Amino acid sequence: MHPIFQHRPSRKLWFGLLSAGVVIGIIGALNVLINGHAHVYNVTREIPWGILIATYVFLVVSSTGLCLVSSLGHVFGIEKFEFIGKRAIILAIITLLCGFGTIGMEINHPIRLGIYAIISPNFSSAIWWMGTLYGLYLVLLSGELYFLMKGMHKGAFALGMAGFIAAISAHSNLGAVFGLLEARPFWYGSFLPIYFILSALVSGGAIVSMIVYFNHKESGTPMPQKYEDFMGTLGKLQALFLTILIFFVIWKIIPAVYGHPPEKFEATMATLTGPLAFNFWFFEVLLGMLIPVVILLNPRTRTPGGVMWAGLLSTFGIFFMRFDLVVAGQLVSMREGAADLTNGLLSYVPSITELAIVIGAISLCLFLYTLAEHLLPLDVEEDH
Amino acid sequence: MKNKRYAIVLDTKRCIDCKACTVACKAENDVPVGRDNYRNWVDEEKLRGTYPNLGQSFTPSQCQHCANPPCAHVCPTKATVVSPDGIVHVIADKCIGCKYCQTACPYNARYYNEVIAAVDKCTFCSHRVYAGGMPACVETCPTKVRVFGDINDPNSEVSRLLAKNPSRVLKVAQGTKPHLFYLT
Amino acid sequence: MTRLLEKKLSRRRFIGVSSCALAGVAVGSQVKVLRALAQEGKVGAVTTLPTKDVFTSCGMCVNKCGVIARVRDGVIHKLDPNPNFAVKSRAMLCARGNAGTKVVYDPDRLKYPLIRVGERGEGKWRRASWDEALDLVGKNLNQIAEKYTRAGVVFASTEGTFQDHFFNQMAECYGSPNTLRHATLCLSSNIQGFSATFGTNPTPDVLNADYIIMSGANRSEAFITPDTIDLLKGDGGMRKLIYLDPRFTKTAAKADEWYPIKPGTDMAFILAMINVIVTEKRYNKDFVEKMTVGFDKLVPHIATYTPEWAAKECEIPAADIRRIARDFADAAPHAVYYQGRRSSFFANDTQMRRAMAILNAIIGNWDVEGGMIPNRSIAMTKHDYLAPYYDDIPGRLDADSVAYLSESDGSWSIFRDRVLEGKPYPVKGMMIYKQNCVASVPNRAKTLKMMAQMDFICTIDVTMSDTAWYSDVVLPEATYLERLDPPEVLGGIVPVVAWRQPAVEALFESKPCLWIMQQLAKRLGPDIADTFNFTMEEAIEHQCSNNPKILADLKSKGVYYEADKPVYGSSYGKPLKTKSGKIEIYSERYAEKGLDPLPVYSSPNVVPTGKYRLLVGRHAYFTHGTTTNNPYLHDIMPENTLWLHPQEAARLGLDDGRLVRVKSAVGEETLKLEVTEKIRPDSVYMAHGFGVLSKGQSNVYGVGGCDAALIEEKTCMISGNVAMHETLVEIFPA
Repeated sequence: MHPIFQHRPSRKLWFGLLSAGVVIGIIGALNVLINGHAHVYNVTREIPWGILIATYVFLVVSSTGLCLVSSLGHVFGIEKFEFIGKRAIILAIITLLCGFGTIGMEINHPIRLGIYAIISPNFSSAIWWMGTLYGLYLVLLSGELYFLMKGMHKGAFALGMAGFIAAISAHSNLGAVFGLLEARPFWYGSFLPIYFILSALVSGGAIVSMIVYFNHKESGTPMPQKYEDFMGTLGKLQALFLTILIFFVIWKIIPAVYGHPPEKFEATMATLTGPLAFNFWFFEVLLGMLIPVVILLNPRTRTPGGVMWAGLLSTFGIFFMRFDLVVAGQLVSMREGAADLTNGLLSYVPSITELAIVIGAISLCLFLYTLAEHLLPLDVEEDH
Repeated sequence: MKNKRYAIVLDTKRCIDCKACTVACKAENDVPVGRDNYRNWVDEEKLRGTYPNLGQSFTPSQCQHCANPPCAHVCPTKATVVSPDGIVHVIADKCIGCKYCQTACPYNARYYNEVIAAVDKCTFCSHRVYAGGMPACVETCPTKVRVFGDINDPNSEVSRLLAKNPSRVLKVAQGTKPHLFYLT
Repeated sequence: MTRLLEKKLSRRRFIGVSSCALAGVAVGSQVKVLRALAQEGKVGAVTTLPTKDVFTSCGMCVNKCGVIARVRDGVIHKLDPNPNFAVKSRAMLCARGNAGTKVVYDPDRLKYPLIRVGERGEGKWRRASWDEALDLVGKNLNQIAEKYTRAGVVFASTEGTFQDHFFNQMAECYGSPNTLRHATLCLSSNIQGFSATFGTNPTPDVLNADYIIMSGANRSEAFITPDTIDLLKGDGGMRKLIYLDPRFTKTAAKADEWYPIKPGTDMAFILAMINVIVTEKRYNKDFVEKMTVGFDKLVPHIATYTPEWAAKECEIPAADIRRIARDFADAAPHAVYYQGRRSSFFANDTQMRRAMAILNAIIGNWDVEGGMIPNRSIAMTKHDYLAPYYDDIPGRLDADSVAYLSESDGSWSIFRDRVLEGKPYPVKGMMIYKQNCVASVPNRAKTLKMMAQMDFICTIDVTMSDTAWYSDVVLPEATYLERLDPPEVLGGIVPVVAWRQPAVEALFESKPCLWIMQQLAKRLGPDIADTFNFTMEEAIEHQCSNNPKILADLKSKGVYYEADKPVYGSSYGKPLKTKSGKIEIYSERYAEKGLDPLPVYSSPNVVPTGKYRLLVGRHAYFTHGTTTNNPYLHDIMPENTLWLHPQEAARLGLDDGRLVRVKSAVGEETLKLEVTEKIRPDSVYMAHGFGVLSKGQSNVYGVGGCDAALIEEKTCMISGNVAMHETLVEIFPA
């Protein structure tokens, strides 16, 4: 039995669940390949981007976040963070690949993308830059992992530095994919590229807290002091990130409702009081931010378990942040007279196939990571 | 000689929302059947007033063939290109189906066409225009809401209409420089 | 291009496996299908796939606009308006016209003769050869003739396919007096009211009129060429359109003034206008004196019909009525009270149209620019035949039922009642040509009951209509784009001749009506067969024999006309076709028949609280019930809704978009509610052509509600026309 999940759930059950998730995802993907996007997805002419784009964003934000948090160790030299390097990088690679897989299911011709992004590049396209920078980022991460596995610290540092820059560039560019759309006032502007960097830190911290916690839950023995200290520090850092995030959210909302700026106001109200309100208040605000902040600010609950729980809840909340962000930006019709409006808004509910692919992508992430834990030597040599 | 610059001038006061343009376009351009699939449309504007004092306008529209088209800027593979005559085209083979252009277009003029496996949109019926004809929507319109022509030709009907009448474009603040002009 | 077309079409479901369980070709381009069928010998060999432009006429509605069919590689790619047809259609083609390609390439289209194997309406069919199907039709027609009389078969037909004449020829030659056409579901009261006044039903000169009043003749949605187009030719203020309709239609949106008149009270409005114009002496005295009879009787007759009185009836303020009357008279003779066509509203519709006619008459807009112009025609040689003589045949089943019954049209609702009574004689067979009586005659349950007592029903159509669905034999007709059709005069202010030539060969085993009639005639005896002993080409030659230019122009331009502008005043100096030879304000003939010689107003039935008056109406993308299943048009409006005013929706606690049950005295339908300010609070409205029973109409089968299932068949006792707005309904949550 692999140490990570010795107690609960059993590894068999864990792998069973993840395999089931992956199979669901494969069935979903086959459904798309057989029947075509239009017939199995609920995205429409008016809302062309759905939960798959949101999941892609979620996964690559996670990847970026993992890279940024791990770089605190091997790039910025904060020793406490060094031991998470390999795990963070390998999960960063996995989430990135699963993210690519998800967006590959959303876009209709991923192969054409490979060809024409090279022979017919459009340098004014944020998606082109995003793809290119994430491609570069993937190469750098892979190199970094290689050096880390080989224990080549100088190389790891150099690639880590480059990876850090690539991560920030790629990720803020992902924000720009939305932020450069003048047609969508809810997204438009410099806010999203910056916000994405911050939210990546929150994502990364949250996931790292879970990695460390579960990784050392394994032995059944008490957590070593070193890790407990790390969790405490990470918890404080997370509290800081989350508090800043809360202010980002507040300041995203206030200008959007203050003077009722056209379209931006309606989209924001859709998240505050409209169709996305439950997602927003319950998942984003309560689960994603408030409860974790309360856990993390209180020294009594800032235990390794508490930090992990805060991370788990944040991660959950962040998924809804991505979904709501992607959907809200499209809920306001580009045409006043468009049909099928409910209370003046368009509507989008993911289809079963879309959900299946999301389940598949996330299951695959966890599956691959568990496998990596099992097969690769990820523990840092104590002599370092 | 200056390039041609094609545009459509619309007198929406004449529009009776009969959807002839929409169906003509579907037939002419083999637009697949389906709710989302259309290159042009007529929007029923919101009903004005309260019963019995009511008013309503109908706004036919399509791709605006912008001089500053956001769809072309965002396309990662340059699948959207602008001809010298101003017509914005999609090169189907280059389209990766990321739908970025659909989110970028402030007019919702684009849809994903499963049959040609690419994002599709109005082309001003360039195949008809280059053969000396008129776009299908222009030709078929019962009340002749749309007038098509070259605004670089000062003697064209579109030029004359724009000279004689005040006009507006949709979402001017977007900076897209649309080339569908609505007489006011 | 071919490659692209094939690719584009390849994923479309061209021929779905229909509910008729026929072997269908599931996928494939139209070209591929043609080739495949050719190999199987199901259609003629496709040796070449031509690319050509064909002049023909639209067949989607009554207007028959000129069309150029653009045929590419043997497939009709697009239908374009024929610019030569501008005198009538203003060189346009509407949504329906453009959707015509989908009539030919419709997966739901009828492909082969079908013979019913299950119960009627069960939808179980087997494919039959033409010979077998026609033998069966012939056998049944002969049997009914023998068992009952030849009047025991009713021939119900559509009009305007250009081949309906051959169907009616069959009725006559078979020997049945019982033909049923659409007029009594449409405009017969209108024709009657105007003809009683002018001796004809004139056409308003919309293009040149400065002041137009319309009562519900929703021209921006119920297209009539060129009126629909000309109505929008206002020159920035000169043209005035006053529109009365309980619904805010698209015409209302284009009108200068819209009045949501209380349904059934248009006559009060008109009489009050006459009152104002007469009492204020704003009528055309010269004209009234020279051209009309009975004005002296009109003056006392309208004395009590004041605007103040009318305002209480029709809920239009008296001041507005007065102002409109004055403006109308001031604008004369360039002013028309536009009578429209459409279904009659109320059982007193003929008298209401009479009032309209009288109002037009007294301002002297007769046969002058911008006024009411008698229709003109173009001389053509008549298609002639010598019908066999049978000496034992009774008169029409519905004879003597109403004051003025058209011998060729009959009165649908009265006819149906008499069939059900079996009096004065039994009618046990139905031959139906493209008429969809199940979906269009009010009180659907009764129509089905009538059909249930028939021994035999045969329907000829291009698609599995509800009527075809309840038939015993269904014969596939070639669509209008696959036929050579005889020329037909489209009368009007500027008459034209239109015709059809095939754009493509008829697909599958579909055949033109003439061929079907000829083959059937052979099975009904040599006397009948002899009358069909000609080819279509011969019939056309014969029709054009008086003027060869007609055929030449049709071939080279797709249209023939003698004048491209209206000719005014041709009726002056000749007696009109009325008893007096003049315009009859007072109708002597009506007096003789015991009818009101001047229109007498009676209030419509009261709508009690909790009930709503059901209104019918049109949309520009549908022709009655025939086009709702068309894939292109279905995209525009996939289902119908019940319009209800927000005030009433709130009272009933019903939300927009929810399903409701609508119940009348004769039926109940379920459809979605549309809460809208576009309708009077005391009325509801639903579009026609939904709630279809036939599974052969895959897009609209079971979708929405069928108005014919709800409407009661109150009938105008002067014209025999069914009144469409007499039905009250209740609404319940479904």
